[in-house]
Amino acid sequence: MHMKKKMHMRKIVSSLLAGILCFVIGVSAQVRTVTGKVTDDNGKPIAGVTVKVKGTTKVAVSDDAGVYKIAAADNATLVFSTVGFSNMEAKATKTSGLNVSLHTFSNPLDEVVVTAAGTNVKRKEQGYNSSTIKSGELVAAKPTNIGSGLAGKVPGLLVSATGGGVNPNYRLILRGQRSLLGNNQALIVMDNVIVPSAMLGNVNPEDIEDITVLNGAGAVALYGSDASNGALIITTKKGRKGVNQIKVSNTTTLEHTAFLPKTQNQFGQGGNGYGVDPNGNPIGSNIENQAYGPRFNGQLQAIGAPLADGSQFMSTYSYHDDWKRFWNTGVTNQSDFSLTSGDDISTLFFSGQYVNVTGTTPGDQFNRASVRLNGTRKISSKISSSYSIYYIQNRYDITSQTATMYNNMINIPTNIPILQFKDWQNNKFANPNGFENPWYQNPYFTKDNYRQLTRNDYLNGALSLNYAPTHWLDFTWKTGFTTQNSETKSWVGKFIYTDYAKAASGGSKTDIPGSVTENPSNNAQITSDFQIRLNKKVKDFNFSGILAASLRQNTSFTSTSSVSGLVVAGLYNLSNSLNYPTTSSATTETRQNAVYGEFKASYKNYLYFHATGRNDWVSVLDPNNRSFFYPAADLSFIATEAFKSLKDIKGLDYLKLRGGVSKVGNVNIGAYSLLPTFGQANGYPYNGVAGYTVGNQIVANGLKPEFTTGWEAGADLSLFKGFADANVTIYNTHTTNQTVPVSISSATGYGTYLFNTGETSNAGVETKLSLTPIRSRNWTVTTGISYTHNNNQVISINSQLASLAIGGNSYAIPGQAFPVILGTDYARDPQGHVIVDPITGLPNVNPNNVNLGNASVKDILAVDANITFKSFHLYALFEYRGGNVIYNSQGPSEDWAGSSIRTVQYNRQRFVFPNSVYMDASGKYVANKTVLIQNGNGNDGFWTDQVHNMGITSNYVTSGAFWKLRQLSIAYDLPTALLRKTKAIKGATISLQGRNLFVWLPKSNIYTDPEYSSNDGSNNGNGIGVTGLSSPPSRYYGGTITLTF
Amino acid sequence: MGASSCKKYLDVNTNPNAATSSTPDLVLPQAIVYTAAQVSSFNDYGSRTVGYSVNAGGYGGFGSVWTYDYATSEMNGLWNTTYDVLEDFQYVITSTQGSTTYAYYNAAARIMKAYNFQLLVDEYNNIPYTKALQGSNAVVPTYDNGKDIYPALANQIDSALALINGNPLALNLTAATDPLFGGNMTLWKQFANTIKLRLIIRGTGATTFANNTFDPAGFLTTDAIVNPGYAKASGQQNPSWNTWVTGYTNSAGARSYIPGEFAFGYYNGAKLTDPARGNAIYYNFPNTPINQMGIGTVSVPNAPATAGAWYAATPATIPAVGALGNNIGVMKGYNMGEPLMLAAESYFLQAEANVRGIVAGTAQTNFLNGIKASFAYLYTLPNGSTQTGYNAAADAATYQTANAGSYLVNFSLALTTAQKTEAIITQKYIALNFIHGHEAWNEYRRTKYPVSSGITTNNPYGSMASVLSSSTRPDKLPTRVQYPASEYSYNASNVPSGISVFSSLIFWAQ
Repeated sequence: MHMKKKMHMRKIVSSLLAGILCFVIGVSAQVRTVTGKVTDDNGKPIAGVTVKVKGTTKVAVSDDAGVYKIAAADNATLVFSTVGFSNMEAKATKTSGLNVSLHTFSNPLDEVVVTAAGTNVKRKEQGYNSSTIKSGELVAAKPTNIGSGLAGKVPGLLVSATGGGVNPNYRLILRGQRSLLGNNQALIVMDNVIVPSAMLGNVNPEDIEDITVLNGAGAVALYGSDASNGALIITTKKGRKGVNQIKVSNTTTLEHTAFLPKTQNQFGQGGNGYGVDPNGNPIGSNIENQAYGPRFNGQLQAIGAPLADGSQFMSTYSYHDDWKRFWNTGVTNQSDFSLTSGDDISTLFFSGQYVNVTGTTPGDQFNRASVRLNGTRKISSKISSSYSIYYIQNRYDITSQTATMYNNMINIPTNIPILQFKDWQNNKFANPNGFENPWYQNPYFTKDNYRQLTRNDYLNGALSLNYAPTHWLDFTWKTGFTTQNSETKSWVGKFIYTDYAKAASGGSKTDIPGSVTENPSNNAQITSDFQIRLNKKVKDFNFSGILAASLRQNTSFTSTSSVSGLVVAGLYNLSNSLNYPTTSSATTETRQNAVYGEFKASYKNYLYFHATGRNDWVSVLDPNNRSFFYPAADLSFIATEAFKSLKDIKGLDYLKLRGGVSKVGNVNIGAYSLLPTFGQANGYPYNGVAGYTVGNQIVANGLKPEFTTGWEAGADLSLFKGFADANVTIYNTHTTNQTVPVSISSATGYGTYLFNTGETSNAGVETKLSLTPIRSRNWTVTTGISYTHNNNQVISINSQLASLAIGGNSYAIPGQAFPVILGTDYARDPQGHVIVDPITGLPNVNPNNVNLGNASVKDILAVDANITFKSFHLYALFEYRGGNVIYNSQGPSEDWAGSSIRTVQYNRQRFVFPNSVYMDASGKYVANKTVLIQNGNGNDGFWTDQVHNMGITSNYVTSGAFWKLRQLSIAYDLPTALLRKTKAIKGATISLQGRNLFVWLPKSNIYTDPEYSSNDGSNNGNGIGVTGLSSPPSRYYGGTITLTF
Repeated sequence: MGASSCKKYLDVNTNPNAATSSTPDLVLPQAIVYTAAQVSSFNDYGSRTVGYSVNAGGYGGFGSVWTYDYATSEMNGLWNTTYDVLEDFQYVITSTQGSTTYAYYNAAARIMKAYNFQLLVDEYNNIPYTKALQGSNAVVPTYDNGKDIYPALANQIDSALALINGNPLALNLTAATDPLFGGNMTLWKQFANTIKLRLIIRGTGATTFANNTFDPAGFLTTDAIVNPGYAKASGQQNPSWNTWVTGYTNSAGARSYIPGEFAFGYYNGAKLTDPARGNAIYYNFPNTPINQMGIGTVSVPNAPATAGAWYAATPATIPAVGALGNNIGVMKGYNMGEPLMLAAESYFLQAEANVRGIVAGTAQTNFLNGIKASFAYLYTLPNGSTQTGYNAAADAATYQTANAGSYLVNFSLALTTAQKTEAIITQKYIALNFIHGHEAWNEYRRTKYPVSSGITTNNPYGSMASVLSSSTRPDKLPTRVQYPASEYSYNASNVPSGISVFSSLIFWAQ
């Protein structure tokens, strides 16, 4: 019945089209008989496939051998369709051997995904939103970091790079920030073991089978108090029964700095501090760091002071883009190896990867090696086990001063050809003694003299045993461990300037005594879970449940020792000094116990109920407050299964409705936070006498966990056998009782106050639409569009606190989005015009801080396309983000240096402050057209004026919106016929890929890629919306060869 | 059984990394040393404002140092750190309250509390006082009027004196616990009296004090100097030396400032002649690199590279960087003590008190003693001994003779109260040069001495103001600094708004 109706429908569509098409076909095409064979993905023939000539009513059916025969015009399109397979189209380009292979169509609702507590569930059971990213999608652009592979691919997930460098960090936030000062990053669970988020940048992306992103807390509540931020459930590859395969590949990726700030290219060093010429224009200087000198004239001129031997460096007085060319082309070489094997008893997956990176900062190097062993083994019919162990090591050899060098280059006027100062050891003008700039070091010297060497070794593993005595009961014990063993050594080389250099620089060049800092650390986490699973079927009902207990222990040790004033140059050891090293260390130990349970009930195949509850006991809280319980529940309803009328609708594959509520507790403080501390200070101990100071944090009594409560509801829809997939989710969460170390007035005697206060909310919508408009023998086109809108808000902080500093200029303010940029602005009239002084023309400054806009991304729109043509695969991903502002904190430095394009907007002349008013004698504001700011130039002019320009935050706040071409990749599978001759290689793929290729910014943003706006360049700060000079963002492109044996 | 073992399993929250309790004898000495570090920062700010130090050649970015148009983001350290110091003293007071054993600790902490709060009032006028330092009990502390805080501080001093006098058997402070007076309670009482005298002198006329009498111990006749054993090691150098001369690794100190001509004129003959103290204080006197604030042209001399402009020596006699120290003047060595109050200041306060009838005595005697004490301080070495061959009394007498025609030196020529006050304050200004710039600045704002004309063009000896001043006042100087931005963020409901750095006055100021 179902079948027939469908065919009938098709008939109507076809006959409509026929009228148009047959006209064309009728005149141009010759009708002949076409034959071929229809097979499935595994090459097995499919019988009973309907073959139809598109645009006609001609139909044939394949026989038991899958063979069909049909009369069709030359170049007519054949449509193959049958139950259980996706439709396929093929052009009748030949008369015989037109073989097609149909892809199995499985209802996505029956797809099995991994969810919390290691449970496998079918999509139809899920009462909450989740997305699964498969291996192919994740690594298409060959990221070395999982975070970058996820950007733009998951609705509701905001992936932000937090800094450049050889192993960039990414910050992953689901459904907006909720914790004011605590952790907001998604929980990372790998093979059912909670791992530190640092793993994202270290685990080999090629090892990953898939990542299921659980956006809401409800789905993850079983993982306990870290789950309020949603989770990434990562499953690594396992061997498969009957598949023995070896895969090797090599990828080379080039990296270029991109999105550098816009700078002026007209003026060089000098300024009116050196005097003015008869026309009133500033005079040049051979040593000045500020570019407020005369306009470039292309003439040869002296740079820097003469050296002791009387020699003088000369260069043309013109713009050099050396500050851009200073940055290297980074090269990443990535080699991968994997082995898959399996039989009925056991499976094995073994892999290795080596990544070697040279950065865009000259001299920066990074490498990472990792090996993994994943296996499963059936011990008996009732007992099975699985295990994984992986080791990762990475090594950094970088300069610690990239941001400083970047800033220095901004402060080296562009008439100075920096590239000529590369060889500071041998070139007397490049050597610090002879370097032209007395205040800002030669960046080539800086990179060599300030180094940071880091070693990280990670050893992680997991073990799971399952015993299933009967079909309704099983026991599982799982344990996992993650360990990190690290060591960082930073040093600054000793450099003693010559007396001549000191005198010539007026004492600005001062000796660098040299220093060494060593920072070893280790941390370890052990988790252990015991689960009992039960299930029972009663008529149309199916019940299942989990009862479980878990333990978790985290320990850490870190120590920092440093010494300054080296004796022997070039020896970087704590003992190489006249001074004693200073040292400090800290150990922490935290523990968490929990019991949790899950209950699932389903009715027939369309109603699924799921509830969880968990009680935690944590060591970091007071014994009276350390126990807390939180529940969650959700419901999934498959409308197309429940109502026959819906099920019968042509083209409606399924419709699922879902909803859930949840509450999750979270302890956002570390170990030992409950009691204030005392420490030695101000040089103590002196001569065996101790002296202590009262710590600067006070802690409220009876700190409690914070709670996130929320609900979500959504629908999933699939049409025309997967032609269109759509889903929509709305959510709303409230996080209350936050544990916040609030900055308080110093007059209290303290700096911060840790207490439970504050509430935030997040509400939003996540949508995704995937279309597969073309699926033919040669072509498959899939395109997706996803849109996320998140509206977060600070509901309250504390009745007495009007705002809470989050970091940089990022603040939480009740009633406003979280966070907002708070800063200084000019005084403005009611219409928003800047009020200037009627005599000086200088803008007046508003003494109060002003809310300058929302700093968190509100809208994310991603569009991707996946196109396969024969053996070619193309993937492209565009992403838009917007609805936020950023504070470009490097802006004032650029104005100071005279390098920014802002400083030439009035051609370095006196100017009327734009859009300004002044108060006339009668006390009215009148538009200012005449009162000029007298000094539109100069070392002490308007642009370098801390009070009237550089100190005004609003001058450097721009829209944070951007469109980005995040990924573009093209892969080509070499023909198997060619490979067969090698008798060894089964498959070979060549691909080209690029990441972060282009960014489109609003005109107002003259600075940089606003994605890099984490304020402190770390993943942990919530003070987003502030860009800095950590290192310039990059664009990546490269190629890969993959061979399968 | 299960529950108790579970409890044990979770009882791992005892801090192994930092102390969670302390004792007054560990906190008091640190707080005194912390105060000394703070005084060094106050001096840096005051010296820039009052013409002791000005921008050196080769540096830029002076911003509000040149214009005085201070923003709320500037000089926040003076506020934040002083309250942090005060919390340490408050801890000592609270933890020793009512203890007869620890009465001297309590008294010393109260005296230091008064000292530090006066620094704050003189900088900010109205500040949190009664509700300050209460931690979580007053998270947004309300402000008290400066003119109400002054009498309260005098009362603190009185209660401290009562504690010392009333508990003869209390536990003595020692050299270890008292890096200021080494446990000498007479000196503590004199210090307390002198602080109270300063409060009364500055406050009288603008506020009233309940008790205008002083303890019989009298006023300071020696310099109140903190020295916990400053040493050439990380964080252990004398804070002023560390800032201005060299770091413990021999790295150079700040070279962005050189002496101001306005102050220099009291030594080189432009206003007064004083080669003895000029030689003691300045590098290569009288050929010291000097400038007027706000002049930033190429012709401005750089600071001397090796040891800065306040290391007294001629270029030929400056030792290698690693051997700097054991010198006289203002920057004596990394191990020199940090003065909290000079005997000279005590004498000049007494002289003014005599003139105004607040304390009985002969103004001229105290005036001369003040000058002598200034010479004496400058002639001492880091270890407190007087440099061989230097005689403060003799050189002070020479100074009197050389400037016999000026009533600023020859007190007998000062006939009116105004002239007497001008002589006393000007001599105090000279004595505090680059030691306590903030005190000179306070006294200038109170008395308008030494006279600064406000004519900045071609008048480096006549005006201490910057040539780039934005000030609308006749003397082209500011009146105060802004409250820190943190108060507008965290205590917005209480912090006064509409503060003008050119018109808002400290309650005792003119």
